[in-house]
Amino acid sequence: MRLAIIGAGPGGYVAAIKAAQLGARVSVIEDTEVGGTCLNRGCIPTKALLASTEALAKARELEKFGIELEGEPVANLEKIMARKDKVVGVQVKGIRGLFKSWGVELVEGRGTLLSPTEVEVEKKDGTRETVTADKVIIATGSRPARIPAFPFDGTRILSSDDALQLREIPKSMIIVGAGVIGSEWACIFRELGAEITMVEMLPRAVSTEDEEISALLAREFKKKKIKLLTGVGVESVNVTDGGVEAILPDGRTLSAEKMLVSIGRALNSEGIGLENVGVKTGERGEIVVDESLRTSVDGIYAIGDVIGGMLLAHKASTEGIVAARNACGDEEARMDYSTVPAAIFTSPEIASVGLREHRAEAKGFKVNTGHFQFRGLGKAHAMGEIAGFIKLVADRETDKLLGAHIIGPHAADLIHEAALAIRAGLTIKDIASTIHAHPTLSEGIMEAAEDVHGTAIHLPKKQ
Amino acid sequence: MNPEDLKYHKEHTWVRVSENKATVGITNHAQEALGDIVYIDLPEPEGTAEANTEFSEIESTKATSPVIAPVSGTIVEVNEELSDSPETINEDPYGKGWIAVLEMSNKAELDDLMDASAYEKYVEEETK
Repeated sequence: MRLAIIGAGPGGYVAAIKAAQLGARVSVIEDTEVGGTCLNRGCIPTKALLASTEALAKARELEKFGIELEGEPVANLEKIMARKDKVVGVQVKGIRGLFKSWGVELVEGRGTLLSPTEVEVEKKDGTRETVTADKVIIATGSRPARIPAFPFDGTRILSSDDALQLREIPKSMIIVGAGVIGSEWACIFRELGAEITMVEMLPRAVSTEDEEISALLAREFKKKKIKLLTGVGVESVNVTDGGVEAILPDGRTLSAEKMLVSIGRALNSEGIGLENVGVKTGERGEIVVDESLRTSVDGIYAIGDVIGGMLLAHKASTEGIVAARNACGDEEARMDYSTVPAAIFTSPEIASVGLREHRAEAKGFKVNTGHFQFRGLGKAHAMGEIAGFIKLVADRETDKLLGAHIIGPHAADLIHEAALAIRAGLTIKDIASTIHAHPTLSEGIMEAAEDVHGTAIHLPKKQ
Repeated sequence: MNPEDLKYHKEHTWVRVSENKATVGITNHAQEALGDIVYIDLPEPEGTAEANTEFSEIESTKATSPVIAPVSGTIVEVNEELSDSPETINEDPYGKGWIAVLEMSNKAELDDLMDASAYEKYVEEETK
């Protein structure tokens, strides 16, 4: 079986290796760099930057830990960015190495579907080559949404892609959109010393998360002196001599040196020849697929951001595995979206899985919740990171865990205990009676589970 | 000890009245119970506070606790110094640790508050 995959991001490259493992001859077509947005312009580079700003934050409070330092720590963005590029470079090499090892062919250029079995590749030198295959997986991803109201120029008005290229720390920045991307960048640039004002059209930041999580993040922003304006959009934008101005509907003018626009992402379903083969798309331009990730055209599958839903690397990778298995003849492979964890790398971190409290109620569950604050844990105090909490949402009738919502240190690592519990249909009692090592942050999950029944050891009696 | 010239709310806040203005803070008992205060979410100046409801929140190393307004009114002044040094509340709860000044909208609410000796008895009862 010959398989062509368009796009080598976290969806496409994982699909390629899985299909190769299952015996397919795989060609991956990629027009920028393997690893896609995640590795080159998203998850990984921003986490590398975050590691630098976290180191800076730690350096600024060394005194608290009893360490004396002469003078103030200084952030050098040039060097921070160079480190980030190195981290990305190592990962890119890793994927290229895996392709070699599994015999996956990498065809560098832009792929367009000519027919359900032919993909034309326009190479960087202008030459064209046609890749023929029995089946095709489309994994073309997404890009920062650009709307005409924001005249992106890459220097004053930036997308998240542009922000990764900055070599000087801006004195001030307006961030339009307080979703996942805007909130992560706010924490990075604030730590570097920029004055940040965030403008969010929705009533709260990170609106995909539980309301209590948004409220705590808003407070942590306040502590960092990040200004957060919610329920307000930007009416117009002016580029000025010194920077950029945002005019709000009530006439207020915000000015800053730079503006970062993070108002969502556009799906890469255009210019890839879908019209040549008749693959159906939906309202947002997303490729329509079934739970086996088959498109409307036989033998063509689609995965990752380009099919919409949650734009998450790990969702794309899982879809890559399911699509590869289907393409290779295992028609049992299906997607299960009930336990896709989401992580936001603000400081403190946010992570969630399963249902939010209101969502669970709306679905007809009678809900019990349990809370535990990180400041109730000895480990959090030892680490000097006490802000945040764990919230568990349970079904009152069956005691099963329905959702978990965490804001606090290492939230993104802690969430998986809950993900496994939900997936396995475990109860609050199962979690609470599982011995958790002391002293760890994971004890908070056990305590939050106990709190569902009002029996947390390290909380006062409920009135 | 709790100053004689203040009025006290059962949720452990105090009021210092000067004509129509009320300076508000948390009591010594409250700051002792909270332990080291690390952050106070100050109310917005020009906002309003309603008696017996939350108008600010305090984070200590032990807990996060709402600050309950002892009287209703418009917030005319906020102790901004606390945003950089919240520990002032621990050090001087009745002085430099004041939280906000309210322009009272209903002075009759003062009648519902306790004087220093009644508050001391109340705390004694509560902590028994």
